[in-house]
Amino acid sequence: MGKHDDDPAWSDITPLPTSEGGPNPLAAIAYTEEYEDTMSYLRAVMASNGFSPRVLDLTEDLIDMNPAHYTVWLYRAQCLFALNSDLHVELERLNETALAHQKNYQIWHHRNLIVDKLDKCEGEQGFVQRMFVKDAKNYHVWCYRQWLVKRFGLWEKGELDFTEEMLREDIRNNSAWNHWWFVVNGREAEGVAGVTDPDSRAREINFTKDAIAKAPQNQSPWNYLRGIARKSGISLAHLKSFAEQHASLDRPGAVKSSFALDLLADILGKRRVATSKLVGRMICWR
Amino acid sequence: MTLAFFTISALDLLSSLVPNTTPEERAAYIDWIYSCQIPSGGFRASPSHDLSAVKDGSAQWDPANVPATYFALATLLILGDDLNRVRRKETLKWLRCMQRDDGSFGETLVNGKIEGGMDTRFGYCATCVRYILRGKREGRDPTSEEQDIDVDALVECLRKAETYDGGMSEMPFHEAHAGFTYCAIAALHFIDRFPWPICSQPSEGQRAFNKMPLRKEDIVSTTSSEQQGGRKTCGLTSPNLTIHWLASRLTATISIEDEEDTYADETDTPETCHDAHSFVHTANFPTSMGETSEKSRPSSHFALDWVGFNGRCNKVADTCYAFWVGAGLTLMNASRVVHPTPVRRYLLEQTAHIVGGFGKLPGDPPDVYHSYLGLAALSLLETAAQAAHESPREGLRKPMEERELKALDACMCVSIEAKSRLYAIWQRWGVHDGKDRDGGG
Ligand SMILES: [Zn+2]
Repeated sequence: MGKHDDDPAWSDITPLPTSEGGPNPLAAIAYTEEYEDTMSYLRAVMASNGFSPRVLDLTEDLIDMNPAHYTVWLYRAQCLFALNSDLHVELERLNETALAHQKNYQIWHHRNLIVDKLDKCEGEQGFVQRMFVKDAKNYHVWCYRQWLVKRFGLWEKGELDFTEEMLREDIRNNSAWNHWWFVVNGREAEGVAGVTDPDSRAREINFTKDAIAKAPQNQSPWNYLRGIARKSGISLAHLKSFAEQHASLDRPGAVKSSFALDLLADILGKRRVATSKLVGRMICWR
Repeated sequence: MTLAFFTISALDLLSSLVPNTTPEERAAYIDWIYSCQIPSGGFRASPSHDLSAVKDGSAQWDPANVPATYFALATLLILGDDLNRVRRKETLKWLRCMQRDDGSFGETLVNGKIEGGMDTRFGYCATCVRYILRGKREGRDPTSEEQDIDVDALVECLRKAETYDGGMSEMPFHEAHAGFTYCAIAALHFIDRFPWPICSQPSEGQRAFNKMPLRKEDIVSTTSSEQQGGRKTCGLTSPNLTIHWLASRLTATISIEDEEDTYADETDTPETCHDAHSFVHTANFPTSMGETSEKSRPSSHFALDWVGFNGRCNKVADTCYAFWVGAGLTLMNASRVVHPTPVRRYLLEQTAHIVGGFGKLPGDPPDVYHSYLGLAALSLLETAAQAAHESPREGLRKPMEERELKALDACMCVSIEAKSRLYAIWQRWGVHDGKDRDGGG
């Protein structure tokens, strides 16, 4: 007997129990009785496309038990919109779920639907920052941050300052480097030039070189520097003297960065052969 | 369906499937998979979503699922099923509905809307389903009379998600990620838009298939498509840079403690710095802590005994990326840039768990996902070691008890043996795949 079976509020619903598909179910998942019971009621409701506050409660229970069930999330969103529910309340609830389940993608997709419907993003940047305290490289959260910037036009509303602060905390945070690239180059379709603009490029190159000086053996800014060169059609040869500051070929004992060496290998030609040989050497180095 | 695939395919790679299951059991597994098939095409993710007992308008909450369909078809191949009961025509029709206008694929169709966000994993699964059901050739499929997906739009979508550093993501401007990069590369193989042909030894089934005479309509269609389009758009704008990015996923940072150290000290010391190499010398130390840790660092010989792969730049290594990156490099024809032994030692001595299976990080409890991908990665590394004429056990300290793994098809992520069963099935369906005759795939 599940908890809904005795509940008069659910007496009109005949639950639809799970069939695991015959006597030899492959990898049948052992769900708890409570989950099975709740799911059988939701299945019954879904079968008749019912939307009501009690269904919202049902989806909430299920999400608490298994936040990875994507149809439950979708059904919940439909239900919220159908009932004209207060979406701010839903966001509050989502905050807790998101903080508890860092790696769950469905939560962010759901949040995206809700905030899009609300058409307002107050408090969202703050919440994203709270998420970053727990994991500053959370992929879903950075994707969501990009969406916020695009959806609500936040390009010049402190986004570079925020990213710079993230880099100050951890200069090796590649997610933050990537976000920086997005903020600088993400509006080309709207006619705002990124590193193809000479002034912007000069600023970006200096910023990156400073970061490299701080920690030369850091792949992120070296990739960023190459990215600038490739995007704006500048030959890598312009970076030769800079690379040599961090990896002198004359003094093999003074290599401060394998990425500088890697860049030099590309500049000095025979690109493909040189690179793979070098990569091979780095790996086999003993 | 996901769990079923990982479990069955892992047993297959270990050559344990047939010895440990009876033909009746395998037949029952096959029936179970077919019980998840949706009449209008595709497979559902799990029987717990099944609403087929209810007749009225609820089918929308019981949708076919793109990854589940890939897992179902791949598992059927592994179990030796002939795919006779697959609703091929319906599935191909449904697959087209799963593609968005921008070329990307979603996960499910609910209320006429494609759900599941942008994610190249869906593109990978969709192109693999298409490949299994109708081969690589583009355009209307003469055997099922179904139209094709929009291949050009998909290629365009994948190219747009290339990142500034040569990796790939699932959407323009998102961070490069090894999982997405692998999925994009493999998808390009499935739709025959990879920048260069890959050389591999054709398997037995494939050789037999290659000997089949070409039908007249196949020859005509190949010639006319060449005349019309000239060179088709290939995926990957800079394949060499993509190889470079994949190779750069190698890292000696294999446990979480190494990574956490970077928060406190940003100087370049081997302990605080990712991917430090033995020839990198730190000239000056901004902090005395950095200098002390430099002095206490283990010898380089010791430090590079174990090397793993990370999924993104400056992250800690993770078992599953040994597959995502290793298979990506294999498909780029570049597995030679990685010395296989330290990676195999990393898997076997660091993330393999004492009770069996693999965890994500050293010391983590094993899970099905990392166990399967760990095995898949080992299989590729064994092949690479053989190609490099290294003894498969060279440099491995522990006496190896496990038997040799079956060779893996890096694209479909099943054993080459299982994949080869496809050729006989294609023959029965009348699918001709001119491009596969060169020995790629
Ligand atoms: Zn993993």
